[in-house]
Amino acid sequence: MIAKKWLLSLMAASLLIVYAAPAPAHADSAPYESYNYNYWEEAVPAPAAYIPDRTLSGKDLGVGDFREPGDMAVAASGLIYIADSGNGRIICLDPDWKVVKVINSFDNQGAEDTFKNPSGLYITEDGNLYVADTDNGRVVILSPEGELLGMVEKPASDILPADFKFIPVKVTVDQAERVYVIAKGIFEGIMQFDKNGEFIGYVGTNKVQRDYAEYLWRLVSTKAQKAQMALFVPTEFSNIDVDAKGFLYATNIDPGSKEPVKRLNPSGEDVLKRFGYFDIKGDITYRTAVGSSKFTDIKVLANGMYSALDANQGKVFTYNDEGDLLYVYGGKGNQTGTFKIPVAVEFSQGNQLVLDRGKGNIVIFKPTRFGTSVNEAVGYHYNGEDTLAVPVWREVLKLNSNYDIAYIGIGKSLLMDKKNKEALKYFKLGMDRDGYSVAFKRYRREVMQEHFGTFLTAVTILVLAWLSYKLFSFWRRKRRLTASRQASPNLKEGNAHEAGFH
Amino acid sequence: MRQDFIKFPLHLIVHPFDSFWDMKYEGKGKVRVALTILLLVVISMILKDQFAGFLVNYNDPRHLNSITQLFTIIFPFFLWCLSNWAITTLMDGEGKFKEIMMATAYALVPIVIIYVPMILASRFMAEEETAFYYLMMTISSVWFVALLFVGIMTVHQYTVLKTVITMLLTVIVMGIVVFLGTLVLSMLQQIIEFFVNIYRELIFRT
Repeated sequence: MIAKKWLLSLMAASLLIVYAAPAPAHADSAPYESYNYNYWEEAVPAPAAYIPDRTLSGKDLGVGDFREPGDMAVAASGLIYIADSGNGRIICLDPDWKVVKVINSFDNQGAEDTFKNPSGLYITEDGNLYVADTDNGRVVILSPEGELLGMVEKPASDILPADFKFIPVKVTVDQAERVYVIAKGIFEGIMQFDKNGEFIGYVGTNKVQRDYAEYLWRLVSTKAQKAQMALFVPTEFSNIDVDAKGFLYATNIDPGSKEPVKRLNPSGEDVLKRFGYFDIKGDITYRTAVGSSKFTDIKVLANGMYSALDANQGKVFTYNDEGDLLYVYGGKGNQTGTFKIPVAVEFSQGNQLVLDRGKGNIVIFKPTRFGTSVNEAVGYHYNGEDTLAVPVWREVLKLNSNYDIAYIGIGKSLLMDKKNKEALKYFKLGMDRDGYSVAFKRYRREVMQEHFGTFLTAVTILVLAWLSYKLFSFWRRKRRLTASRQASPNLKEGNAHEAGFH
Repeated sequence: MRQDFIKFPLHLIVHPFDSFWDMKYEGKGKVRVALTILLLVVISMILKDQFAGFLVNYNDPRHLNSITQLFTIIFPFFLWCLSNWAITTLMDGEGKFKEIMMATAYALVPIVIIYVPMILASRFMAEEETAFYYLMMTISSVWFVALLFVGIMTVHQYTVLKTVITMLLTVIVMGIVVFLGTLVLSMLQQIIEFFVNIYRELIFRT
């Protein structure tokens, strides 16, 4: 009896504890509003995919404040490198945010050499460090130990003008050790160097978009007026990254462009998949005073996903390999998790890191349950394991029932399992007309095959019934006709009789 | 009844020259039939937006409004009739307002008879087959315009060129009517506002 009482009170207590426990961290704890766009291009509130975990400034790391840091890169080994541009140094951190070393200078043929405003970084698979040493006009290549391996300097080439100034801003290296450099004042494209530092040429020129109104205006203006106008020049690229297959992801800042993100194949063509509902250009709807998104950094993630950093609104947009917008986080402001001038986005151990030049700190974002589930499901889908993705997508839908990509994902899996009718429902919920069409065609065929016998029987019966009805009415008419023919002489007689009376 | 509501309109859409003549001179057209056709057009438009297959229906279901659709068809219809009447009166047209209305309404018959079966068919179409749906929709519009053209020509006893010019002018006049209408409305609103202000002033002063 006593034991029972005890048990009861224990249960009550445990209930109390459960109810008194603080609510788990969710969307409200983020200083920004999370959203995603629906099929109708409306921003619909969504659970946050990433929430700010902590911020780290130079002081927190014990190396003194950052001064206008320009770039950040994460090596395959997990080491994090930060280009502290204003201080002319590279800071190397381990994954637990302990300072490993600070590179202030390097040994250049016996003499000590330093960086001047290094604003771009890249680390290769072997751990070699490529630094875009902007104000020195060179790209410095250092080994993991800090020894100078080589330099890419101002190229000599026939296609470059004599007064050419080489101001490298961002740098990326592919598997063949070709070096891609975005330089200031270069509109021709991304500069490409071979592994010996020889200039090969440009890749991926941005196309000039002609503004016809301005073209007309130019026709009627004088020479002096024309000289005052801005030239039609292609826009510069703002950042690059390279994926595991050696394709370049490049961003450009071109207001009004529908394709600010490009995926360039080795011959420089844009092969980015754009199968989503809308353009891959960050915000779809925005106030004119705010303006469209301006991508300043791009990071290729696992499973074909990529994150692009919008400096205008301080947001990070993550897309999957098919060009669907997965989630948006971040914003401008002074709270933790909002930015002043975000310059670089990176990925380290499941967290996303954003380097803020304005505040001189790094913000670490950790994924929420929603974000983790989305990443996991996208990974399964990318690797062709759609059946494994289904339970994860269902989990995502539990957290956000407006998530169209989840409906489409489930639909695709059902389609593979030949559950066409259910697939139809999911494709319709996800507003995927192509998927719907495929599922519908299969379902239609299925129904036809199943009911073809019934259908044919019904048609035969109907045809037979119609034929017999026709035959019957024909026979009846014929009988009536003969009957009336027999009767007609009498009728005529009757008429004559009647006429006679009149 | 059957003659007026079914046989004549169906005969008209395939034999427009004879039928519009009959409508004008033999008194075969009826206003109540014309209004019924108009109503049917409204209904088929509503049905199309609401029930056309998912693959061809790009309407946001949250913004569908049958009342709005009613007015987006009825209003331009009468606006067209009014403008056409106004312009043809000045251009020696022989048609009366009633005849213009009937000609326009009878010309809408192909829309009804194509839309309704196509709405049904579109629900059983795959993506490649939707081209057929759009083709039929285009045919219905072209048919309507052709019938309207013949109708206006016959009703007013115009030449081809004059009909084309009148129809273009009608569209312009429609614009002018809308403009004047908005102008009058905004003026009225200002006048009302003026009196309301005077009233308010008086109320506060005393």
